[in-house]
Amino acid sequence: MSVLVALAVLWEVLVRFKIAEVQFLPAPSEIAAAAQDEILSGEILGRLVHTVGVTALGWGIASVIGMGLGLLLGLSPLAYRYSMTSFEVTRAIPPITFVPAALLIFGFSLKMELVLVIYGGVWPVLINTIGGVRSIPPELRDVGRMLRLSRLETIRKVVLPAALPSVLVGLRLALSLCLVLAIVAEMVGNPAGLGNGLISARQALQPALMFVYVIVAGLLGVALNSTLRTAAKLLLPSNALKELAS
Amino acid sequence: MSTRSLPGLLPLIALLGLWQLLGSPDSPFFPAPSSWWPALFTRGQGAKIVPAVLDTIRTFGLGLFIATILGVTLGILIGVSRQVGRAVGPTFEFARALPPAAIVPVATLLLGFDEPMKVVVVVLAALWPILLNTSSGVQELPPTLLDTARSLRLSRTRTVFRVLLPSVMPAIVLGIRVATPIALVITLLVEYLTAVNGVGALVGEAQRTFQPARVYALIVIAGLISLIVNSLVRSVEDGVSRRRVGDRL
Repeated sequence: MSVLVALAVLWEVLVRFKIAEVQFLPAPSEIAAAAQDEILSGEILGRLVHTVGVTALGWGIASVIGMGLGLLLGLSPLAYRYSMTSFEVTRAIPPITFVPAALLIFGFSLKMELVLVIYGGVWPVLINTIGGVRSIPPELRDVGRMLRLSRLETIRKVVLPAALPSVLVGLRLALSLCLVLAIVAEMVGNPAGLGNGLISARQALQPALMFVYVIVAGLLGVALNSTLRTAAKLLLPSNALKELAS
Repeated sequence: MSTRSLPGLLPLIALLGLWQLLGSPDSPFFPAPSSWWPALFTRGQGAKIVPAVLDTIRTFGLGLFIATILGVTLGILIGVSRQVGRAVGPTFEFARALPPAAIVPVATLLLGFDEPMKVVVVVLAALWPILLNTSSGVQELPPTLLDTARSLRLSRTRTVFRVLLPSVMPAIVLGIRVATPIALVITLLVEYLTAVNGVGALVGEAQRTFQPARVYALIVIAGLISLIVNSLVRSVEDGVSRRRVGDRL
């Protein structure tokens, strides 16, 4: 933490005394002043709520789709054999390139932002759910069969708990991806949220304000990550946590 | 791709076939796949494709290369010294969580719309997996390894190059594999957002001039680049890990 403070002080000194003159680089004190204005006017809160809301909603929907489809593909060798390559090929296409297509189809709208966030978030959940389900040791399923569990009970009591660590890894990856895509969509398409705040400040040539939004976006990333890490700690036995740390 | 995985392509082929049958080439949203390829060359735009692909690959390659050098160096420093690790911890935590898209407006304002700006953004995004994998690779090394180097009185540089680097190589390569798709996505992102050269800029241009077929064609090209690059990196990783197994035998 002290390093951060030291960096900020160094930055302030460099800019204030024009030791390092970089055009458009605001001093930390200017950024703080801009942040204060933006917080007091309520502008930042509204944008933050929008971005968090879309990210969370899109992530939630992507998780449901990803886990459902992942369970199906993980449990049914037939479905896996006749579709996995299609998913692998589609997944390889960088989701960013779908932004222009989504803009053409949905226009500058909330729908476009949400569709992008969901699309990007589905992949990590899907792939990690499939991986988690398929790597369950066969003995574990035999136990389920021996206990004469029904198919649904087997999924609920054997498959899901065993695949949970891997699924959580997917969920965490998906959350950061959803945030990135929400911000990209706001920057180029849907005129709302933090991404739009960034672009507006950039276009208005208000570097201090722009840095405010960059910092807020970073803090949001940290907050989302640590929320999910705490949730995982509550959900998982400690031996499975190591996998998540990476 | 083995023949075993071929049946898995059926849904994709069926989808594209259905799209071809139901879609019209003039649809503003879903132009039929057969119209994609010709759309690359209409209005004399064909000459832009190859330079754009080369631009994208250059930015991606240069960014990944610099990220690797920087990530490995910083990763070893942090892995070797606990104090360094603790000092930079919060700064890195923040920088890592920062959505790369948010860096782009800042980078364009401070560095301008040019090639170095693109590379800087790619490096800032692709650095983290390499750095983190390297530092945890160093921390997980058996202490006897470094003790041996010390008792052999190896100099510091020799310890790093002869002992440390070879033993964390698999961790570094794993980091590079994770960083590869990130670097490619961020290259396309920064090209799209800033319209400075490359495939990403072309997709953006096709979108703004309402050429949906061209957008889809460029999406396919981006997908092909990604498939090729990722399988290249995976085969390098396989090579490295196989050599490691050979070492142990």
